Amino acid sequence: MKKQNDIAIIGIGVTKFGELFHQSYDDLVRDAAKQAVNDAQISMDEIGAAWLSTAFPEIGVFKGRSGMDLSEPLSLYNIPVTRVSNFCASGADAIRNAVNALRAGECDVAMALGVEKLRDRQPQDSIVKMMVEYGHPFLQKGFTAAGTFAVYANRMMKKYGLTREDISNVSVKNHLHGAMNEKAFYRKPCTLEEVMKSPMVADPLTVLDSCPTTDGAACVIMVRAEDVDKTKHRPIYIKGIGLSVSTGWDLPFFDPNHDFLSFEATRNAAKMAYQQAGITKPIDELDLVEVHDCFSIVELLTYEDLGLCKPGESKEMIRGKSTQFGGQIPVNVSGGLLSCGHPVGATGVRMVVEIANHLRGNAGERQVKGAKRGLSHNIGGPGAIASVIILEN
Amino acid sequence: MQVNALAYEAVSKLETRNSKLEIDAVLFATSTPVFKNRYHASFLADLLNLPQGILALDITNSVRSGTDALLMANTLIDSGKYKNILVVVADVHFPAIGKELSTPFGHGACAILVSNEMGIAEITAAKSCSSALAEEFSYKGNAIQYDPRFSRDAGFKTNLTAALKNFVTNPKQYDTIILNSLYARMAGGIFAKAGFEETQFSKDTLLSKIGNTGAAHALLLLINEIENAKDGIILLADYTNGANFFEIKIVGVIKEKVVQNELKNFELINSYQDYLLLRKAGNFSSFNYETKEMFSSEMMQEREKDTLQYLKGLKCDSCGTIYYLKSTRCKKCKADKFSTIQLSKYGTVYTLTSEHYFPSSFPPIHMLVIDLDGGGRVTVQQTDTMYLEKNKIEIGSKVKLVLRKMIENDTKPNYFWKAIPL
Repeated sequence: MKKQNDIAIIGIGVTKFGELFHQSYDDLVRDAAKQAVNDAQISMDEIGAAWLSTAFPEIGVFKGRSGMDLSEPLSLYNIPVTRVSNFCASGADAIRNAVNALRAGECDVAMALGVEKLRDRQPQDSIVKMMVEYGHPFLQKGFTAAGTFAVYANRMMKKYGLTREDISNVSVKNHLHGAMNEKAFYRKPCTLEEVMKSPMVADPLTVLDSCPTTDGAACVIMVRAEDVDKTKHRPIYIKGIGLSVSTGWDLPFFDPNHDFLSFEATRNAAKMAYQQAGITKPIDELDLVEVHDCFSIVELLTYEDLGLCKPGESKEMIRGKSTQFGGQIPVNVSGGLLSCGHPVGATGVRMVVEIANHLRGNAGERQVKGAKRGLSHNIGGPGAIASVIILEN
Repeated sequence: MQVNALAYEAVSKLETRNSKLEIDAVLFATSTPVFKNRYHASFLADLLNLPQGILALDITNSVRSGTDALLMANTLIDSGKYKNILVVVADVHFPAIGKELSTPFGHGACAILVSNEMGIAEITAAKSCSSALAEEFSYKGNAIQYDPRFSRDAGFKTNLTAALKNFVTNPKQYDTIILNSLYARMAGGIFAKAGFEETQFSKDTLLSKIGNTGAAHALLLLINEIENAKDGIILLADYTNGANFFEIKIVGVIKEKVVQNELKNFELINSYQDYLLLRKAGNFSSFNYETKEMFSSEMMQEREKDTLQYLKGLKCDSCGTIYYLKSTRCKKCKADKFSTIQLSKYGTVYTLTSEHYFPSSFPPIHMLVIDLDGGGRVTVQQTDTMYLEKNKIEIGSKVKLVLRKMIENDTKPNYFWKAIPL
């Protein structure tokens, strides 16, 4: 593929993640967008095109069905605005679309904003309910999101000798990190025993092995690298961006080729991003990584899929604490989805904002010292979609 | 299990014994309420993937409809127009909760193949005598009501005596008598008066284990007798609103004892509370999650019948990989030519999980990813998991797919595959 021009992030914004009953969908959009616009020191009207990422408009009073739900709260009219929906990779995909528009010259300043309001809903209304009542009447009936990843956990345990403790230790690590993140939902460390003894959701994954559903929004403002104004911007460069759809919603559970030990989509997206960024030994060339720990097992699988270790060796990484803050390659220093929760459309953008903060040396208590290059990773659907973004300062 | 799931199960067991059946008619007998969507012979024929347009008749409305169906099959075979007729009887009765009738009833199904070729037993004579006097069962709403007073005292005695006289000329010629009647003692007296000996009667050993299985009961007793008797002549008498008589001669030997084997799988419900849960009359558990009826669509069922109902798959002509879901190009070799194949109902668990938050009367729901013997992979629920300790499944366990009711939406039951341990 042709060598692509670098794109620079010049403005970042992220709301608090949590049960934000005092903030509406529109409030969250305003909160994140204003932070980013202020950070970039531009006026709202300089934005030439925008991408809005929301995965589930149905559960948020229809907010997020189209680009107009970004325009309205920001009074940002008469420019192209597109809603992006790619399950849990929606946020990252909004950024990818903005990057491509900048490269194509459609606009000079682009905004990608992810937002999701998951807590405003009737009692007992949830994503589980969606899967119970509206999914295919037979295929996958009986699965919740947790179950679709728990089948990976059981296979990993059988094949690679991973233990329940290894899986739950991911949650312990990320909750430890979350305590340092003022924007996280859970800000309290937890013990291995607490994780393992919390109620079982889908064997072997417990409540504390699962990310909470929260509200939140995050926003980035981007320009082409040559348009960066060094006098006012603190740019972070997008050096690689890959997105891959490698299977479907039902196929993973009916595909005899699938081994339930890896996400092909992650491997593909990583390959694309590494190639663009010129990375060959990710473990040595990355300073920090944000991965999609919707359920703790997914983080372990992703170590292997991102090439941070060999297949079957993720257990050594968690046992050796090499992915803990202060270790060889800190993973999910933000606390991850396990601490921040997972407002689906916002998550991918939040991770990029997190990495950007570290690369700017702005991450406070949890700052990864001297961070120069970071990676953010999302998976969407049952691991069918994945996005990998490489950022440098 | 619903009527058609039971019926299907019964036929599956028959199929495994007669692999190449060429069935040209299906007679489906049940006394479970008629006009319940999909509780009929045509749907059963469809489930069994029999040719469209096959003769499929429903014989309903009476507890003797099981033997009615046998009688009709016999008559159709005698007519010379049919060669192999599948007689399937299934009854699922849910008496009113807390009423005395909860105890004597059971659910049951059986399938008998009636052929113009010699098999296990030969029907040498058959007759039916109607009687309008006796009605002991009726429906009050959805619950069965039982009032034997008039039928037993006024109808039964007169009619059975007359019918017996009409059918039997020499009581001593029978080696075994199967008498399916709720009034066994009274019937015994009538038979004794007609010249039968007490030693001729076969004991109903099923009643104490599975209860009265309604329309299926007489034929279950017959199958059990044929499977256990060495040879001889059987008199089968079935009485409800009239009587059906059969003279059946055992001519072949059965190696496998299906009824007795099935009884070994018998599982006693531990408590009345569990029974209520099974009937979904108790708390619909999973943390008191209240759910609307699940989405289901008849159009989708029809459209995706090959996979959903017949368990057909696609085999890549190029690399041989077998897919359960429709595919345009092979995920493995990218070739685009496939052949439709029948997938196996047996397989091995590749991975699994137990879902504690999916609504269920008996949580958790066990989801199994299964590699089918001969190729193909499916993911289905484990079923019959009320008492899991007896049905524990792990990675590597051998399992069998069974057709079960998945969703009942607007009283339309939809059937799909679930798994049980082998």
